[in-house]
Amino acid sequence: MKKRRNEPEADRRYLKILTGVLRHYATVLMQSDPKKLDLKALKEQRNLMRGINLRQNAGQLPLHSFISRKNTLVADYKRGAYLKDPESVGKPAGNPMSDPAGMDQMMNMLKGNMAMIVPQTLIMGWINAFFSGFVIMKLPFPLTIRFKTMLQSGIATRDLDVRWVSSLSWYFLNLFGLRSIFNYILGSDNSADQMSAQMQQMNPAAGASMFGPGQDPNKMFLAEAENLEVAGGTHEWVIEGVEDRVLQFL
Amino acid sequence: MTILQTLMSYLSLHPQPLKTPSTSLQLAQHAPTFLSSSDASRDTQEVWFLYEQLLLSSLRCEDDSSARLCLQRLGDRFGVKTSRVRALTGLYDEATASSKPALEEILKRYNKLISEDPTNTPIEKRRITLLQSLGRPDEAITALTKLVTHSPTDAEAWSHLAEMYKDQGLYSQSVFCLEEVLLIHPNAYNIHARLGELAYIQALTGGNEAEGCADAVRYFCRSVELCEWYLRGWYGLRLVTDRILAQGGKGMKKETVEGLNLKATKRLAEIVRRATAGEEGWKGFDPAEVQAAKELLEPAS
Repeated sequence: MKKRRNEPEADRRYLKILTGVLRHYATVLMQSDPKKLDLKALKEQRNLMRGINLRQNAGQLPLHSFISRKNTLVADYKRGAYLKDPESVGKPAGNPMSDPAGMDQMMNMLKGNMAMIVPQTLIMGWINAFFSGFVIMKLPFPLTIRFKTMLQSGIATRDLDVRWVSSLSWYFLNLFGLRSIFNYILGSDNSADQMSAQMQQMNPAAGASMFGPGQDPNKMFLAEAENLEVAGGTHEWVIEGVEDRVLQFL
Repeated sequence: MTILQTLMSYLSLHPQPLKTPSTSLQLAQHAPTFLSSSDASRDTQEVWFLYEQLLLSSLRCEDDSSARLCLQRLGDRFGVKTSRVRALTGLYDEATASSKPALEEILKRYNKLISEDPTNTPIEKRRITLLQSLGRPDEAITALTKLVTHSPTDAEAWSHLAEMYKDQGLYSQSVFCLEEVLLIHPNAYNIHARLGELAYIQALTGGNEAEGCADAVRYFCRSVELCEWYLRGWYGLRLVTDRILAQGGKGMKKETVEGLNLKATKRLAEIVRRATAGEEGWKGFDPAEVQAAKELLEPAS
């Protein structure tokens, strides 16, 4: 009996690794090259970045340099000098589906999700078919009742000792533990790991660029112009008093 | 150790081998051995990085056949049409071109590439450098200003522009460009020192001398505040404070200037002593700069 339990477990572990490896290569294959931006889009993005840089590192400049830069940039931003298509100012943001760049981004997300979902469904089906609802191992140390939900998911026996671990719980423990193995096989930046993929799903804004589809660049420029105006009031040059600092500390 | 490991450890010791002739020669001498070794066919990031470095240093040392081979393999791996390989190809052609008409021909090719794809920054930069080496700084400056209007976050372009303006004697434009670099890299101590140098030059060539020197002192102070053993910073600080003291110390408190002068002298002396003795951890200094510091100190000692 004991032997029979161990065998499918070993199988499944290999299966888990193999699907991870497969998923990694499927994602790599399906990724399309990042699309090249045209000159105007580049200009729009980088000039906004310049304003942000100016605001963040204003302290590096003497007051007069900062003020003259700020005035030029604010005027340009308000005029819409850097916009990709100045005609679209004031119009509501277009349907992101109609923008080819946005379409591309969405397609990529969809592809990523597909690569997640398909093997996930398969492996879940496999697990359900073979290993639902039985105990797979016993921990060598006692635990309190609180751990029951963590270690015995999938079995509804109230009186079972907490030290017994159900197969489903073991699956989840493996899922976390496999990360280092994937790192070893596929290199550290792999897409086999579900955790990172899930993390991305939860927080898609983190990785996305600032100019996602549906954003109105003109509004971003106007907001930045306002930020710059505000920052202008609290300018402080880092070089002020540096002679004394050098004499004192170096 | 395999040749790959030797070269990688050399590169980690000298992250910028192209900076001095001796390090590029060292690297270029290994190029034929590496290219014929089995490591050369490995497909990892570091190997391709190494290929690029070897290509540049072989070109510098006139080992054109090794450079050709590096370029060919890079092209085979990444495609001859990628912008980076194209820029490297251009660089190779420029280096091996024998006459001015040949260079003009390359320039024409760059122009064509850019009109096909205006966002091809590596080629654009090659074109600017080529214009500069053909002795047309005005066109190079125009091209650079165009480049920074659409990519104002490119620190390399800004510092190049600053250098070109400086060569033309347009110091305030140069200062503007360097300030842009500071906005992108706020803690770049070398840029602070460069601003100090420019302020000093400006002060000497007309303009308000006392004020310019005071600005220069501040910039140099900032650079050594950010990088404690920055030779150029201390050197400049010493030079400018000498000048201020010789002029009677206008514009700044005399004790401060004297204190800074003393401190700079001490630091420079220590750098010179340790660098010439070749102490562990003090070998990174440029020998020419150490020599200059020594000469600056000599009359005082």
